Amino acid sequence: MAEIAQGGGGGHGDKKVRSKKASTRVDMTPMVDLGFLLITFFILATTLSKPSSMSLAVPDKQNKDQPQDTEPLKASKVLTLFLGKDNTVWALDRIAADDDKAKTDLKKISYGPDLRTLIFQAQAQVDREHGKDEKGISQFVVVIKPLKSSTYKNMVDALDEMAVTKSKRYALVDALTTSEKELLGDKAD
Amino acid sequence: MPAVKPKRNYPMMDMTAMCDVAFLLLTFFILTAQFKAQDAATIETPSSISAIKVPDKDIMIISIGKDGKVYFGVDNQVTRLGMLENISQTEGIQFTDKQKKVFSLQANFGVPIRSLPQWLNVGVTNPDKMKEVPQPGIPTDSTAQNELAKWIYQARRANKDLRIAIKGDNVAKFPVFKDVMASLQAQNINKFNLITGTEAPPAGWKAD
Repeated sequence: MAEIAQGGGGGHGDKKVRSKKASTRVDMTPMVDLGFLLITFFILATTLSKPSSMSLAVPDKQNKDQPQDTEPLKASKVLTLFLGKDNTVWALDRIAADDDKAKTDLKKISYGPDLRTLIFQAQAQVDREHGKDEKGISQFVVVIKPLKSSTYKNMVDALDEMAVTKSKRYALVDALTTSEKELLGDKAD
Repeated sequence: MPAVKPKRNYPMMDMTAMCDVAFLLLTFFILTAQFKAQDAATIETPSSISAIKVPDKDIMIISIGKDGKVYFGVDNQVTRLGMLENISQTEGIQFTDKQKKVFSLQANFGVPIRSLPQWLNVGVTNPDKMKEVPQPGIPTDSTAQNELAKWIYQARRANKDLRIAIKGDNVAKFPVFKDVMASLQAQNINKFNLITGTEAPPAGWKAD
């Protein structure tokens, strides 16, 4: 321990009465203890990692009286992802839902590397076939359709995948068309 | 010959430097501290590679619990009071000063407007009991009773600089999020933030 050194002298045949020198050193140990205790408290009480945020912009709501004319998307440029239950994704790669081949082409994949590879493949394919548009942006479009049974995490994962694959054009759509409902059947629940 | 007295020498250590370090760190932690808010529900957010930080002030957080309950909160006590004042005017419910005080201390809440006074009374009499009161969540479903939309509107009236963030739990179902989004879109709010944890982007990925 940090004791205070005292005394010493005296007893050497020195007869002179010396006034005992009071040491001015203070034992710092309790103060250090207190300091570290408070540090511990403040470390534990503060939020360590600040959460980050991803911004999501959705289109303006449409005026029902004046529906805007929009050009329908070409199915050959679109990858549709249906987010289903139990962390599965049903992907429709560049095929319209009312196409005859849609039923056999509907792929079941999982999140993570599988989904990423699929997006990259589709992206490369579309770029090869259609090239970039006049602004130099890829014409590849991803349509994300979270189904009722999907979770919030699934949606964030899918949106995050858009950031990872740098797919600039994507849409978050919650309504299913009739042909899509038919195609998915009971998977849509 | 006197017996050899062993010299009693206590090992000594100078604590001053250590003390200095301890207090320096303490000062740092005190100054940077941002206390964890007492939330109505624990929410585990999914993670994303996004690196945008959530703003510190002027923010409204709509939380979605794992059971699909919706909680609402704004960061500033002044905004909270203004918001309560506005709600009390439009809904015709009077709050006492004590109730307002309790309300201004709540980081977020998930109580329908009708049962708000009752819930705040618990806080007036016994603040520790407040945590134990079950919170049913803010109604978001039907358009007439969409209280979340009312809160959002009144909060924005109280502080027009408010930014909007949605904090959802991993396992919260998508339809709840859709309802929240519909409440926002009904007021022409088309841009908002989703609060997520941070995860490392895949190797070789670069932001443009």
